[in-house]
Amino acid sequence: MMVSTDPMHQFKIGKLFDLKLGDLDISFTTSALWMVIGVLLVIGLLALATSKTTTVPSRLQSLAEIWYGFIAGIVKDVNHAPGKPFVPLVFSLFSFIFIANLIGMFPYFLTTTSHIVVTGFMALFTISLVIVVGVIKKGFGFLKIFVPSGVPFVLLLIVTPIEIISFLSRPISLGMRLFANMLGGHVALKVFAGFVPSLAVALGGIGMLMGGVLVMPLIVGVTALEFLVAFLQAYVFAMLTCVYLNDALGEAH
Amino acid sequence: MEQEAVHSAAAGHEASSGFPPFDQIGAFGVSQIFWLIVTFAALYIAVAYVFLPKIRASIETRDGAIKSDVAKAAALSAKADESVKQVEAQIAEARARSRDTAAKAKAEADAKTAAATAAKEAELNARLGAAEARISENRAKAMSSVSAVAEDAAAAIAERLTGIKPAAAAVKSAVAGVMGG
Repeated sequence: MMVSTDPMHQFKIGKLFDLKLGDLDISFTTSALWMVIGVLLVIGLLALATSKTTTVPSRLQSLAEIWYGFIAGIVKDVNHAPGKPFVPLVFSLFSFIFIANLIGMFPYFLTTTSHIVVTGFMALFTISLVIVVGVIKKGFGFLKIFVPSGVPFVLLLIVTPIEIISFLSRPISLGMRLFANMLGGHVALKVFAGFVPSLAVALGGIGMLMGGVLVMPLIVGVTALEFLVAFLQAYVFAMLTCVYLNDALGEAH
Repeated sequence: MEQEAVHSAAAGHEASSGFPPFDQIGAFGVSQIFWLIVTFAALYIAVAYVFLPKIRASIETRDGAIKSDVAKAAALSAKADESVKQVEAQIAEARARSRDTAAKAKAEADAKTAAATAAKEAELNARLGAAEARISENRAKAMSSVSAVAEDAAAAIAERLTGIKPAAAAVKSAVAGVMGG
């Protein structure tokens, strides 16, 4: 048995070949490989789905339209009309995270979204975008999101710092949520799966029976749950991106 | 498995019980961010400039097609309603015309029947008149022969009773006196 039972092993990034950009080490790693594969999968699926659009849609075209309608629906519900230019961005974010999470469900495939660098950067990008869009749209008035209207001045002294802290914690919570969910789910799967051989080694025949009857159904259940989490986390990230964008686009609250 | 080999070879020098998501930030953090930007930008450009416009266009085309089809259907339905009205008007007209024709035919037939009846009646009346004339003539004839028979009978009776042949004139006046009253 050469398979490592270390639950953390699956998150190790391997270097495939060296690459330098000036002083920066941008080596092509397994993480990069799976990002490229994920993006190619999404683009390939969309290309197939939209290769021949017909009035009565084919299954794939229907899928693409539902996919688009789902994202456009979120943006419309949260941001209304001003959110329309951000539909492609939210669509890309959702698709990128969802495909990365799904790829992670295959054994030996690296889950790129289980790395805080990736999810944290995406979160920082989202929040930076909110700030940039907010300043472009509202100028100095964007700062009003920290000062709720209709609150007495004395309370503002307390509320404003809270609002600022809440705003600053957004990228951390946004990035951490996705990272922790993917990491935790995969660790749990690996640990539960590890019970089967451990029980077999420790208790012999009875252990094998227990592993098969008790632990395997649990692993199947957790795997199903992980598929749900894979979708849910992509959805939550897209949804929160819209909600945060609303600070920049919507009316001051 | 081959990839797994590369994987462990590359990561081999690091502690096996570490926490890779944090341990490897130093080694691969920049590379991860670089490739994230590259791949995400590629996805965004493809989505924003190629695929979403296509999907939107196909949805809009469908909406347009549905709208125009519905409008066409409404127009056709209105047209059908109109033709139904036309047909109904035509039927009503035809019905009125047929009623007219029937009434006219009836009147004609009535007139013809009346004329025929009148002619027949006149003929019958004429025949009746002739018959009556004949009857009264016959009756007169019969009456005159009755008086002749009565005269003969009276003469014969008187001759048998008296043995004398009465005068014809006397018998005649006697019979006429009884019959004519």
